[in-house]
Amino acid sequence: MKSFRRMVYPYIIWAGIFIVIPMLMIVFYAFSKEGNAVMTVSFTLDNFIRFFSDSIFVNVLLRSLKLAIITTIICIVIGYPCAYFMAQLKPNSQTLMVLLVTFPMWINMLVRTYAWRGLLIESGLSPELKVYIGMIYNFLPFMILQVYTSLSKMDRDLITAAHDLGCDNKKAFLKVTLPLSVPGIISGITLVFLPAVSSFFIPRLLGGGSYVLVGNLVENYFVTTGDWNFGSAISLIMTVVILISMYFTRKFDYSKEDR
Amino acid sequence: MKKFISLLLTLAMALTLGACSSDDADAGNNEYGCDVLNVYNWGVYIGEDVINNFQDEFNVKVNYSLFESNEAMYTKILGGSHYDVLVPSDYMIERMIEEDLLQPIDKNIVTNLDNLYDGVLNKPYDPDNTYSVPYFWGNVGIVYDKTIVSEDDVVSQEWEVLRNEKYKGQIYMYDSERDSFMVALKALGYSMNTENEDEINEAYEWLVELDQKMEPAYATDEAIDGLIFGEKAMGVMYSGDAAYILSENENMAFYAPEKSGTNYWNDAMVIPSNADCPGLANEFINFVLEYDQSYDNAATVGYASSNAEVLADMTAAGGDFEGNDAYIPREQNDKDEVFRNNEPVREMISELWIKVKNS
Repeated sequence: MKSFRRMVYPYIIWAGIFIVIPMLMIVFYAFSKEGNAVMTVSFTLDNFIRFFSDSIFVNVLLRSLKLAIITTIICIVIGYPCAYFMAQLKPNSQTLMVLLVTFPMWINMLVRTYAWRGLLIESGLSPELKVYIGMIYNFLPFMILQVYTSLSKMDRDLITAAHDLGCDNKKAFLKVTLPLSVPGIISGITLVFLPAVSSFFIPRLLGGGSYVLVGNLVENYFVTTGDWNFGSAISLIMTVVILISMYFTRKFDYSKEDR
Repeated sequence: MKKFISLLLTLAMALTLGACSSDDADAGNNEYGCDVLNVYNWGVYIGEDVINNFQDEFNVKVNYSLFESNEAMYTKILGGSHYDVLVPSDYMIERMIEEDLLQPIDKNIVTNLDNLYDGVLNKPYDPDNTYSVPYFWGNVGIVYDKTIVSEDDVVSQEWEVLRNEKYKGQIYMYDSERDSFMVALKALGYSMNTENEDEINEAYEWLVELDQKMEPAYATDEAIDGLIFGEKAMGVMYSGDAAYILSENENMAFYAPEKSGTNYWNDAMVIPSNADCPGLANEFINFVLEYDQSYDNAATVGYASSNAEVLADMTAAGGDFEGNDAYIPREQNDKDEVFRNNEPVREMISELWIKVKNS
C-alpha cells in the first residue's frame, strides 16, 4: 500500500509549480513596493492600508461578498428541491436528469454568458439583476449535482424507519433527509461561493461595466494600471476572506456531524 | 525531501530545455531564415486575406494573436513574450520608445512609406516615424440617433450633451479611463494631456456628476451593437466604429466636437526590440502598406486607412464609405490633440476612474 503513496508526487510537483509558487509571488508582491527587482525590494503594508482606508475598495469587497452569498442562497433554494426531486425518480430517469443538468456545461461558460448578454440586452433590467441572473444560471448545476449525489446515496430504509417511529413526512425530512444531505450542501456551497466571489467576466459582460467586483479590481490593477503590488494585495485580501468563510462553513458541517 | 527537490529541479530544467529547443526553428524558406512571424494586433483589425497573402508570398506561417487593450499588450511584452509586429496606439508607442522596448524600422526594407497619407506622419509620439508605421487613424466623437437626440443639442453643447438630463439613461460612456477623462477635460476646456491635479480633479467631478445624473452604461465594443440596435440613443465612439454604426443604421449621426476638440489618434505598426525575426517583420509592415492589402484592411475594419490612395478611394463616389461623416477624421483643428504618455497621470486617472464607476 505504501508504494501507492508515491503516486501523489506528480500532483505535489504540479501544485508546487502552479499553485504554491504563484501564491508566494502574490504574497511577495502584496507586501512590497513597486520595483520588482529583488535587489531594491522594500517591504511595506502600504498596499493594505490603501485598500482599507478607502471606502470605495471596501464597498467593492462587500458588494462581491453580498453577490456571492445571495447567489449561493438562491442556488440552494432552487437547487435543493430540484436535486430532491431527481433523487426520487427511477434510476434510468435519474441518469437522464443528471445528463440534462450537465448539458449546458458542455458549452464554455464564457460563450453561454455572451448568449445571455444577447438575450438580456433589450430587457431593460437593471445591471445588478442581469449579473444575478448570469451568476445563478452558471453556478446552479454545481449545487444541484452536489446535493443530488448526497441524496441519492442515502439509504431509503432510514425514511421508512422514521415513519415507523412516528414521524410524518415533514418531520422525517427535517430529522433524516436534511441532516444527511448537509455534506452535499456544504460542498455545493464551496463550489458556488468560491467562483462566485471571485468571478469577473460575468459582471463585466452582463453588468455593463458599472458593476465592479473584486475580481474586476484585481484585473484592472494587473492589466490596465499595471500596479501589480496593489493588485496582489487585493487578491490576498480576497483569499483571506475566502479562507475565513470556508472555515465557518466547515465548522458548521462538523457541528452537524457531532450531534 | 532531497529527492523531491532534485525531481523538481530536473523538471524545471526539462521545461526550460523544451522551451529552448522549440525556439530553434528550422531554417525557413525565405531569405530571413525564419519560418514563423508573430503578429500581435487588436481584435477585428485586419483584412480577411492579408495574412494568407503574406504567408503565400513569403512562405512563412503567421501566428496572429489578439489583444484588447494597449495595457494588456504592454503587460504581455513586459512578461517576456516575443512578437515580431505589434500595432499599439500613439501614447503606448511613446512609452515603449521611452522604455527602449522598440527597434527602429528598417527603411531599406520598408520602401512603401511613400504610400502613407501625409496627415498621419511625424506625430509627436514618434516625431520622424523612426519606430512606427501608421496603420489606422481617427478621432473620437459622439454617435447619436437623430430621431431621438436633437442635432442642435449635440452641436451646441458638444461633450456637455452627455450630461443633458433630457437624455438620461440613453448614453454609453466609453469604459476606459483615458477616453472618459479626455471627454471630461475637453468639455471643461482643458488639455487632455494636462498634468495639473486640480484640472484632473475637476474632470473627475465632471464624470461623477455624469454618473449620478445620467445613469450611463459603461461599455467598449458592446456599445457598437447597442447603438446599431437602438438600445441607447447616444454614445462616445471611436470614428472607425462610428463609421460602421452609421453604415448599419441610417438614423445615426456622428459629431466630433469642434469647439472643445477631441482625441486625434494613430495606431501604428512597430517592431519590439526582442523580436525573433525583425527582417521579416519589416517585410510584413511593407506588405501591409501595399494598396491591395491596405484596401482589404480598410474595407474589412472600417477605420480610416493610413494609405493615401485607399483613403481617397473609400470615400470617392462608389466607395465603401461614400458620404459617411465619420470615416475621414477632421484635421487642422487646433483643439484636437494626440495622447502623450505620462505615467503619474495615468496611474492617477486609473484609480479615479474606478471611483467614478463606484460613486
